[in-house]
Amino acid sequence: MTTFDEEMMKRALREAADEFAISNDAVESILDEARESATSDESPRLRAFIQRHGPIRSTILAVAACVVLLAVAVPLFNSEGTAKKNVSSALKFAAIPKVGTHGESGVVISGTGDLSGHGAAAGTSLSAPVGTTLQKANATSLDSSLRVEEVGTIRLSVGAQHFQSALTQLTDFATTDGGFVASTRSHAGTKAAHSFSTGTIVIQVPERNFTMLVDQVRHAGDATSVATSATDVTGQYVDLQARISALQVSRTQYLKIMTRTNSIGGILAVQNQLNTIQSQIEQLQAQLHLLSSETTYATLTVALSEAGHPVIVPTHPRTGVDKAWHESLHGFAAGVEWLIRIAGPLLFALLLLGAALVLGRWTWRATERRRGGIR
Amino acid sequence: MSDAVDVDELRTWLEDGYASSVRTAYLILGNRSDAEDAVQESFLRAWKFRDSLATGSSFKPWLYRVVVNTCNSKLRKEIPHRNRRRPDDEVDDVAMIEDPIGRVTLSYDVISALKDLPAHLRVVVVLRYYADLSEHDIAIVIGRQPGTVKSRLNEARRRLALHPALQSEAPGSINARKERRS
Repeated sequence: MTTFDEEMMKRALREAADEFAISNDAVESILDEARESATSDESPRLRAFIQRHGPIRSTILAVAACVVLLAVAVPLFNSEGTAKKNVSSALKFAAIPKVGTHGESGVVISGTGDLSGHGAAAGTSLSAPVGTTLQKANATSLDSSLRVEEVGTIRLSVGAQHFQSALTQLTDFATTDGGFVASTRSHAGTKAAHSFSTGTIVIQVPERNFTMLVDQVRHAGDATSVATSATDVTGQYVDLQARISALQVSRTQYLKIMTRTNSIGGILAVQNQLNTIQSQIEQLQAQLHLLSSETTYATLTVALSEAGHPVIVPTHPRTGVDKAWHESLHGFAAGVEWLIRIAGPLLFALLLLGAALVLGRWTWRATERRRGGIR
Repeated sequence: MSDAVDVDELRTWLEDGYASSVRTAYLILGNRSDAEDAVQESFLRAWKFRDSLATGSSFKPWLYRVVVNTCNSKLRKEIPHRNRRRPDDEVDDVAMIEDPIGRVTLSYDVISALKDLPAHLRVVVVLRYYADLSEHDIAIVIGRQPGTVKSRLNEARRRLALHPALQSEAPGSINARKERRS
């Protein structure tokens, strides 16, 4: 058969196929199987699925489904949980004018923490640390309850000549809510023969009263912007506690060794170790105290100004090149931030899309295969 | 429709189409037990999804399509992963039959040549020359365009025409070997 002979092919195939003896048992076996499948429930579907696709492919599909589930579930749980809470709200009520209007003149008066308030009136010294000196919290209460650090900033505009009364009102809010004024900074100036004042007051109140304080301050004048944020530092707090405990145990051990050491060299070596450990303990305890105070008291910074006069913050004017350089840096950083910000959602979306495509293709193929593909 | 009635319907299907289906599967797969398994699976599957056969559609191409798909699935997934039988097992069975007029020898050669074809060409050859389906019906069965069927058939014919087993003059052909053996 050097050329293709269709008739011969037909005959040959028929003859070859005719050699295949048809067994009646096979037919009965199919009928039995059909009767069985008709009476059985749908439970063996999983087994049939695994048989049809093979264990490896079934496992891959199951793993893919788990990955998609995790990818969906983890962000959801994270957003609902309190592992890392970061609430930020910014309410822009009006455009904030630029700082440092031409033709203004004034002096800056600063005050330090004063539990009785009125820091602006007292102020002479500049920028003294207040958080560590106030002893406002029982920092040694080492527990593992939730520790949240809350801070906020409000820009408040008050009527002309109402600066002092507003300052007094804010101080009252602080003391009423069980807190205190941590610092104040005020600026008195003149512009077009009119005197005006602007300033900043930092208020600390117990964390539970923070929301109430924010609400009170917002209504004390015309709030042009409000921004608050909360960060959970429980993990950091517990970590510090654990490290301090471990170091204390080490110190005890070294002290025991010290009592048993007789040689001067040995005593000096152990003493050296003890000094190091003691130093570490004190360092960590200071951090713990700071953290404790920061979480016990929430901090609200209020930038107060009379209407039409922005808060003056003394800054060094930037030159053209300096300004351009900084703007360029800001632009670059903003671009990188934007890229990082969209990378996560984009990756997630691509993952979901890929999974959906694979599942869709598989479902389509499986359906086509089951139905024999004819509609 | 009750299950009993459905099973009776299946019996009718089997009476009508089992023999041709299993022989088609045998020619595609080249193995008796695989053919029986494939056809059993095909009939059960077709019966299970009998509602998907649209009104007015032809039953024969639909059943062939299920059979061909099952055979393709076996060729793709199961058969390559197992220790295959010796390729000439089935052919030997055919060749052992007494053959006074050379009938079996021809079958032997054709089956050998068929086994050397790729699966997608083998399927169209079997459907065309054994199941006697038109190119249009084959297109429905394999889910491709009639033009694709035509080109596959041409390619299959070309390869079969050049196959040594089907060229009695060729020194390595099966016919030649058998002649030498006799």
